[in-house]
Amino acid sequence: MYADYAYLIVALPVLAFLLCLFLGWHLPRGGGFITVLATLGAFIVSLGIFLETYPHEIVHQSMHWFAEFNVGILIDPLALVMLLMVSFVVTLIHIYGNGYMNGDPGAARYFAEAALFSAAMLGLVFADNLLQLFIFWELVGLCSYLLIGFWYRKPSAAAAAKKAFLTTRVGDVLFLAGIILLYNNLASLNIALKPGEYLLQFPVIYANIAAIPGDQLTLIALGLLGGAVGKSGQFPLHVWLPDAMEGPTTVSAMIHAATMVTAGVYLVARMFPLFYAAPHGLTAVAAVGAFTALFAATMGLTAFDIKRVLAFSTVSQLGFMMAGLGVGAAVGAMAVGVSMFHLIGHSFFKALLFLCAGSVIHAVNTNDLREMGGVGKYMKWTMYTMLIGSLSLAGFPMFTGFFTKDEIIMIAYEYGTMINFLPYIFLVVAAVLTAIYTFRMWFSVFTGKERSNYGKHESPWVMLGPLVILAVFAAGFGIATQTDFYEYLDSNFEHYDLDFAELGIIGGHVLEEGHGAAQEEHAAAEGEHAGEEEHHLPWYIHYLPIVIAIGGILIAGLFYWDKIKKFDPSQVTGDKDPLRQTLLKGYYQHEILTGWFAETLVYGTALICNMIDIKLVDGWLNWLSSWVMGFAQHVRKVQTGIVQNYVTALVLGVVVLVVVIALAMKAMEVGLV
Amino acid sequence: MIPLELYILLASAMFTIGLYGLVTQKNGIKLMMCIELLLNSANINLVAFSASQPNVNGQVFALFSIALAAAEAGVGFAILIALYRLYGTIDLDNINAMRW
Repeated sequence: MYADYAYLIVALPVLAFLLCLFLGWHLPRGGGFITVLATLGAFIVSLGIFLETYPHEIVHQSMHWFAEFNVGILIDPLALVMLLMVSFVVTLIHIYGNGYMNGDPGAARYFAEAALFSAAMLGLVFADNLLQLFIFWELVGLCSYLLIGFWYRKPSAAAAAKKAFLTTRVGDVLFLAGIILLYNNLASLNIALKPGEYLLQFPVIYANIAAIPGDQLTLIALGLLGGAVGKSGQFPLHVWLPDAMEGPTTVSAMIHAATMVTAGVYLVARMFPLFYAAPHGLTAVAAVGAFTALFAATMGLTAFDIKRVLAFSTVSQLGFMMAGLGVGAAVGAMAVGVSMFHLIGHSFFKALLFLCAGSVIHAVNTNDLREMGGVGKYMKWTMYTMLIGSLSLAGFPMFTGFFTKDEIIMIAYEYGTMINFLPYIFLVVAAVLTAIYTFRMWFSVFTGKERSNYGKHESPWVMLGPLVILAVFAAGFGIATQTDFYEYLDSNFEHYDLDFAELGIIGGHVLEEGHGAAQEEHAAAEGEHAGEEEHHLPWYIHYLPIVIAIGGILIAGLFYWDKIKKFDPSQVTGDKDPLRQTLLKGYYQHEILTGWFAETLVYGTALICNMIDIKLVDGWLNWLSSWVMGFAQHVRKVQTGIVQNYVTALVLGVVVLVVVIALAMKAMEVGLV
Repeated sequence: MIPLELYILLASAMFTIGLYGLVTQKNGIKLMMCIELLLNSANINLVAFSASQPNVNGQVFALFSIALAAAEAGVGFAILIALYRLYGTIDLDNINAMRW
């Protein structure tokens, strides 16, 4: 029954967008409660669908749109967990936003844009075809532009919005190219479509992947990966994400932690069979993900802006998710479950961390870690909820992040035993750094002495309430749902006409003998794999993540917690230390991308083009027009303004005409005779 | 019956006088009169030919032409009055604001 109202998941936030846009100015707090109610409604509908369909049904509705395209709703386990997570987290963030944006003159605009964003993200998730997904994908990009640049009078915010928009655009062009290529390939197969089936629908794509040539599949996969890299802030298109912290903190929490950036991971998960079948497709995903995870984590170590630390951590964790999908080359479709589990868990604790950071910023009025210290004395609730979020992010045992992130490291190890250990090594190092930078931040903010005179008060309950709810999820989601979650997501691709063994042959994946069997087994027995794995992984691999998390937190404590402080960071690395400088400058990306690439190369080329334009193209045209003008200067003298001259010219003209006509007639007569 | 040649002779004389006046005169009203001469010389031709061959078409045409001339005179004099009010003269040599 709820499934009949699936369209409401998007329709309600769209309605809220329109109401806030046109009426928000007249409502208290910019009409924020409308947005809250709309996303809450979307959450209730999603929850209803979940309860109805769990665990073995999917919802698929579709109607003709135009030509060979349709609009439709496809809610399978993969989409459903995303819908639930997005609508839930976004609702909490909107509630928090009611407190955070209170008093901002643009509150109505904020809530309208936030509602549109929620609608776009939810629409992206439940789209049943790639075209529809792409449209919502672009809408998400637009909303992120609007929201990052929310305080558009601040030049840095306007620049960050522009940067985000342009950078993701690079990925989107690749994505679109991938879609077109996929469409062409599918169209050339001459598939006999049943009524109600369309080429770009996911079930149709899944069913026909095996028929597309391998090299084409790789191209398509790389195009789609390009889109995912742009949206999910993976190297080298990650540059926009840390800058995107210019928006209100709620925006950072909503777009740049919990939902929008996960769209890229979701796309790869959604198209996982295609990536799996494409030779080298998953290798690229794993490489990008593992590298980004480590790369961003190192930059998180030195950032001073509390939100930038979290932003780098987001980039890094998204790298984990991508790598988790990428190592699916070794473990098959199970990787989707593992990666999505981290995605969902991450959105809880990262949204929590961002909202806590927002709460801190709201009170102390600065983003700079160096100006905080000792905030815990005044903000108990924020301190403890943020502690839970940080423990979860660091992967402390029994917290959500422990179950989600470490599962990725496990399958990366399996990937290592079969194919290549590099992703595993990258991810382990990144995990250590994650624990260190997370607690560097936490210790710097909440413990120690006050390093500047900041505002000292706890945030209002409308802000703390969502924190507490999110903290419960950040702590308990992992342990509560682990087994069920894997089972549920492992069943995702069973709803479609897919044979992973066949796809694996195209993709050149040699599944380990035992593992192929394990896969078949849990296709039948549903998710025994947790037990399957444990017995063939060495014990030290299994306990390493615990050591990593606790060790990382200890290291951070030794440097930054006044109670056990042993080292001073400035003694270990001086300000002049080249490594420290490199990290602080973000590997000189700004210098390379903006300074060298944009300002020297692109701007230089533009200058040359400008010269050619002015001297050659315009020059020729200007010469021609000035010649015409000069000529006209002479000719215009004919216009004397004396009527008699005109009459004379007229008469003479008539005479000439008469003579000419007479001569012509004469000539014709002669000719005719 | 007056021979056709005399009519044509009269019409040609009137046309030539009108043309001469148009080219040489400066006064706006004189120019208007010259234009009337041109038109009427054409009318004489039309009527003369129409009468010499039993066919009324030419005379109908002449009537149209007279109506046209009346309208033209109306517009022309209106312009001249407007010019007089603006410049205080109707000597066309002095009215040359639109030239280069």
